[in-house]
Amino acid sequence: MLTRRTLMTASLAGAALLGVGALPRFALAQTADQAAAFIDKTGKDLTAVVNGSAGTADKTAQLQQIVDRDVDVDAVARFCLGRYWRSASPAQQQQYLQLFRQVLVKNITSKLGDYQGVTFAVGRTSPRDGAVAVATVVTRPGTAAANVEWVVSSASGSPRIVDVVAEGTSLRLTQRSDYASYLAHNNNNLQALLDAMRQQLTQPS
Amino acid sequence: MGAVRTMILVGAVGLALAGVSGCATPPPADDPDAVADFNQTNDPMEPTNRVFYAVNNGIDAVLVKPLALGYKWAVPGVVRDRVHNVLGNLDSPVLLANDIMQTKPRRAGDTLMRFVINSTFGVAGMFDVADGWGYPYHNADFGETLALWGVPEGPYLFLPILGPGDPRDSSGHGVDIALDPLTWVGKGDVVTDLEYGRYGMTLLDVRVGLFDTLDKATSQALDPYATVRSLYRQHRAAEIEDIHSDTRATTPDWFPSQPGH
Repeated sequence: MLTRRTLMTASLAGAALLGVGALPRFALAQTADQAAAFIDKTGKDLTAVVNGSAGTADKTAQLQQIVDRDVDVDAVARFCLGRYWRSASPAQQQQYLQLFRQVLVKNITSKLGDYQGVTFAVGRTSPRDGAVAVATVVTRPGTAAANVEWVVSSASGSPRIVDVVAEGTSLRLTQRSDYASYLAHNNNNLQALLDAMRQQLTQPS
Repeated sequence: MGAVRTMILVGAVGLALAGVSGCATPPPADDPDAVADFNQTNDPMEPTNRVFYAVNNGIDAVLVKPLALGYKWAVPGVVRDRVHNVLGNLDSPVLLANDIMQTKPRRAGDTLMRFVINSTFGVAGMFDVADGWGYPYHNADFGETLALWGVPEGPYLFLPILGPGDPRDSSGHGVDIALDPLTWVGKGDVVTDLEYGRYGMTLLDVRVGLFDTLDKATSQALDPYATVRSLYRQHRAAEIEDIHSDTRATTPDWFPSQPGH
């Protein structure tokens, strides 16, 4: 057992060294591979939680951890507010970021039951606006396989998810148009949006 | 059945024209950000569209959704899948015509092989055997064909019954009905009943398919109308991009390649 572990550590270290040496030449390819490996791990973590035997409360807590660790929530939130981010006061920005995170976690965890038995396979990667899009095929029992792309950005220092594109529809783009339309119909009043988001949190999911 | 469809279309267009007076007010010109948003949204008929969106939701709530829920409750998933496949197989001639007009030979070949294989080995389309044999399903309609021919989508349009669309895709829908050989088969009570059955089942089949996705998305939206508009446009753009970027060679994989390869 000991030898096996030593061997593994040694080969890992070797691979890391090789990787560092090859960095300049294969920097792009490596970012793509890194993104694919990252999505593979995040996907495995997610499916493990969803298909696990823990209670709903435990699962919710575990999902929340994964979201905080692997999703660049603040970047997504800023994107979704679009031009209204700039005109918001620092206090409003803080409130908004907090609410956005809570709504996001609530929306994800409310789908827990639906995703029972879900499996996924990582496919090709492609560059996308300074980030990397990782294609996956998500399969759920009783439904057709869905093409889901995960956009991974390393802008925050480590790879993190900034968008999910399901069958050609971007989650953050859809959310942005939802907020933009809501604000346009409420005199561009950011406070109205914050109140509506607070309202969303109190609704049963 | 064609007559019923035509009536719906004429009615929809009539209502739309009647509602033209309800145009969205453009934002003041001294607010460039708002003007950019307005132009990008490209929904000048928004007030009218919202009325039809509400009407459609009303029809859905009292009629279509309960029927679809009943269908889902009463019919096991295995049987619903068979129905879904049969309905899809019946669309093959329209798909093939559009594949050809889109000048995509590989897609046309896929559709043709799917129709032949699934109609025979797949027992009248009940089983999607062709998918496992390397001929996966794809969508093709005349709205997409027009898009590939360079016709722009135009402003957003929400029509009763037909739902989200735009001048290009909604008129393309009419062409697809005309392209369907089953629209023109012989007349008689049995044929008419079968056609009603087909359209009714298609409605239920599509609605059941939307329970998980669209219903979830709109229930979590602050402005469901805007969310549907965004989802529809993105989905169409992705479908059209898929066709556009499908540049597979016409020679199939098993065809002997040139000497030296």
